[in-house]
Amino acid sequence: MSIAVSVEHLTKKYKLYEDKWGPIKEVVSKKKLHKEFLALKDFSLDFPKGEAIGVLGKNGSGKSTLLKIITGIADPTAGKVTVNGSLVFLDVSSGIDAELTGYENIFMKGILLGYSKDEMMEKVDDIIEFSELGEFIYQPVKNYSAGMKAKLGFAISVNVDPDILIVDEALAVGDSMFRQKCMNKMNGFKEQGKTIIFVSHDPNSVESFCSKAAWIHQGELITYGDSKLVGSIYNDFMAGRRTIEAIKSELQFIHAIEEVSPRMTPEGFSVQLGGYLYGQNGRQESQFELVLRDKRTGEFKSKALIAHEYTGQASLPEDVRKHAGFSVTLSEAEFPGFLKPGTYVVSVRTKEDQGEWTEFPLTSGSFTRFNNKEIEQFNGRFLYKIEVKASQLILSVENHNKVQQQVNKIWFQDSNLYVEGVAFVRGYETEVAEDVSMNLHLVNLDSFEERVYPALITETEEITENPAFNPQGKNYNFSQFNAIIDVSKLEIGQYECKLSYKMLKDPYHEFLILVWASKTKEYPTDTMIMGDREIKIQTGTKYLKLEVKTHGYEEQ
Amino acid sequence: MFNVYKELWNRRRMVHTLSLHEMKREYAGTLLGFAWGLVNPLMRIAVFWFVFSIGARAGGPVDGAPFFAWLAVGMVAWFLLNDGFRLSNKSFRSKRSLIKNTPFPIAVLPAVQILYAYYMHLILLVVILLVMAFTLDTFSLYWLQIFYYDFAALMLLLGLGSVTAPLVAISKDFGRFLDTILVFLFWMTPIFWSIDNLGDYAYLIKLNPFHYIVQGYRDSVFFQFGFWEQPIYTLYFWVVVCLLLILGNYLYKRMKPIFLDIL
Repeated sequence: MSIAVSVEHLTKKYKLYEDKWGPIKEVVSKKKLHKEFLALKDFSLDFPKGEAIGVLGKNGSGKSTLLKIITGIADPTAGKVTVNGSLVFLDVSSGIDAELTGYENIFMKGILLGYSKDEMMEKVDDIIEFSELGEFIYQPVKNYSAGMKAKLGFAISVNVDPDILIVDEALAVGDSMFRQKCMNKMNGFKEQGKTIIFVSHDPNSVESFCSKAAWIHQGELITYGDSKLVGSIYNDFMAGRRTIEAIKSELQFIHAIEEVSPRMTPEGFSVQLGGYLYGQNGRQESQFELVLRDKRTGEFKSKALIAHEYTGQASLPEDVRKHAGFSVTLSEAEFPGFLKPGTYVVSVRTKEDQGEWTEFPLTSGSFTRFNNKEIEQFNGRFLYKIEVKASQLILSVENHNKVQQQVNKIWFQDSNLYVEGVAFVRGYETEVAEDVSMNLHLVNLDSFEERVYPALITETEEITENPAFNPQGKNYNFSQFNAIIDVSKLEIGQYECKLSYKMLKDPYHEFLILVWASKTKEYPTDTMIMGDREIKIQTGTKYLKLEVKTHGYEEQ
Repeated sequence: MFNVYKELWNRRRMVHTLSLHEMKREYAGTLLGFAWGLVNPLMRIAVFWFVFSIGARAGGPVDGAPFFAWLAVGMVAWFLLNDGFRLSNKSFRSKRSLIKNTPFPIAVLPAVQILYAYYMHLILLVVILLVMAFTLDTFSLYWLQIFYYDFAALMLLLGLGSVTAPLVAISKDFGRFLDTILVFLFWMTPIFWSIDNLGDYAYLIKLNPFHYIVQGYRDSVFFQFGFWEQPIYTLYFWVVVCLLLILGNYLYKRMKPIFLDIL
C-alpha cells in the first residue's frame, strides 16, 4: 500500500503573549514571558493512496492546523511532512479575489496552484460548466452569494485534477443538488485511485463518505481506523457518553469478534464467540472478562476469558499470537433467569493498574458465521436475536407475543400493597382460572434482586365484553390479577415491577413484561408512611415503580 | 545562499502572470483602467514643477537641462523606486488572506509587487521618453542605458523587498517606520534639487543607492554619461544590492515560520 501523505512526529507550538510588548521584552530580558499552546503533539499518521480519509475533531482540536501543515500554509515546529503528488486544498474562499471576475479568478487560482495559462485554457470550459454560474462568471466575485463563491471554488479545485484533494467542510455551503454533484465528482476521484482528505466535525458525513477516519483531540491522534468505528467512538464522546480517558484506555486493546455461533439447546439459548483480543503497551498479560450487559437496567453477568493461541486470518504481531485468541460460550443455563426480554450488549472488561475496571464493547470484525445485515432468530423460552449495530454485537430477547395489560387499582392496606389489574394475550382464551398463571416481580434496580409475588387470577368480563379489545368475541374471562406485596419486608431502594404471564396450555409460552400503569387517578399519590419506611408509587414513565425510603430523610 | 531567488527564477512565469493580475485587480471596475496609472504620476510631476519653478522661483536649468524635463525624468525613476519599495515591503501583509488560505510559493509575493510597479512604470516611461524625444535635442544611444538602470533598480528593489517584507510581516510598527523613511528619502534624494548644491557633503547623499538610479536616469537622458565612467560608485551600488539579497534570503528563511503564525 503506497502512501499519499505521511506526517511524522508533527508538533506545532504557538506562543501566546499577554502583553503586546512581550516578544521584545523577552528578547531583552531573556525571560520566558509567553504561554505555550500545543496545537499538535507528536502527531504521526500515514494517509494511504486511493482512499478517502476523514479527519474528525471538534473545533480547536488541531485538525485545521494539521491541514495547514500538510498543505504548507503553516510550518511545523518539529516533525516532517512528505507529500507524494500534486495537492489541492479545497476551501470555499481560498485563492478567490473578490475584485476580479469569476473568469479571471479561475486563471488566478490556477496560476497559484502552479498551472500555466495554456493549461488552464484547456480546463476553463469544464470549470465554468461545473460551477453552474453561466453568465455570472464574467461578473466580479464580490457580487456573488456565498453559495456561488463555494461553487466557483469547488469547480476550480476539482477540475484541475489533483492527485490529493483536501476538503475542509466546504460542502456545508451550496444547495443539495450541487452537493450531490460534488460528492459524485469526489467519488469519481476515489475510483481513479486519488486520495481525498476530508476534514469535518460531523461524524455522519465522514462515515458516509470516507472508508478510513482519524480522530484528533487536543492535538493528539486518538485513533485511526475504519470510519464507522471511529465515527461511533467519536459520537459517544461528543454526546458525553464516554470520557476521553476511558476511550483512550479502551483503544490500547486491539480486538475483534470473528465468529458468532448461536444455538438453541434443551437448556436454553447459547452463543459461542471467538476472535482475538490483546493489549498494546506491554499489557498482554491482562486478564479479561466477558460482560453481557442489559442495556436498559445495566445489570450484567461476567465470565473470565481464557486466552489461547490465535489461529485466525487476521495479521497479528507474532509475539501476541500465542495468547491473543479467545473463545467463549454464553448460555442461558449458566446464568439462569438473567436473559429476560430486553437488549444486551457484549463487551469486555479488564482491571486497570489502579484496580478500576475498564470496559469496552467488543468490535465485530469480519464474521465467518454471518455478516452485518443478517439477523438470526431463535425460538426458546423467549425469542432470541443476535445482530450487529454500529460494529457492536447485540443480543435482543423478545417475548413471543404481546401481552395486553393495565393496572386498574393500587391501594395500601395494613402493611400490604395491593395491585389489581388485567392481562391477556390476544388469541389465547382463558375460560378457567387454570389456563394461566401470573406472578408479579419486584426487581431492585441496584442489586437486581428479585422478589416474586404469586397473583390471584379472578374472573372479569372487562376484556371479553369490550369490543375494542375483543373484536373476535373470544373468551378472556380469567384475565384479572390480584397481587399482594408485603412492603414491610422490602429493603430500601428503587423497584421496578414486572409481570410474568405463563400459559398453562398450548402453546405454553411464557412472557415477562414491565407492568403498565397509566390510570393515574386510581393510584395513591401520597407517600405511604409505614413505621420507619416511606413508600411511593411512581408511574411517571407509565410503568409501575416503587420507591422505598427511610422515613425522615430527604432524598439527596 | 540564494535559494529564494532560484525559486523566483523557476517561477518567473507565475510572477509575471500574477503581476498582470495585480494590475487588473487594481483598476478593476474603473472606466479609464490603466490610464489612471498615467494620469496620477503626470499630475504629480506637474504639481511639483509648478511649486518649484513658479511658486519657489527655483526652476532654472540644471547643468544645461531644462528644469521641467530634468524633474520629470527624475520623478519617473523615483516613482518606480517608491512604488516598488512601498508595495513589496507590505506584500506579505497585504496578501494575508491569500497566504492563510492557499498553498502556493509565497516567496514570489515581493517580486510580484515589484514587477507590477515596474509594468506601471514602463507605461509612464514610454510616454515621457516619447515626449522628450520630440521636444529635446539630447536623443542618443545613451538613452538605451535606461534599461541597465531599470535592471539595477529592479535588483535593488528585490534586495530591499526581500529584507523588509518578512520584517514588516512580523511587525506592523516596522511597516509604519518604513513609510516614514520613504517620505524622508523622497526629500533627501536629489530629485527636486541638484546634488551640486551640497558641495563637499555630496558623497553622503551618494551613499543612498536610490540616488544611483535617479542620477543614472538623468545621465542617460541628458548628459550622455555611461555607468562605466563611475566604476567605484557602480561597484558600491552592486555590493549593496548583493548584501541586501543575501540578507533577504536569510531573513526569509528565518522569519517564514514565524510570520506564518503571526499574520
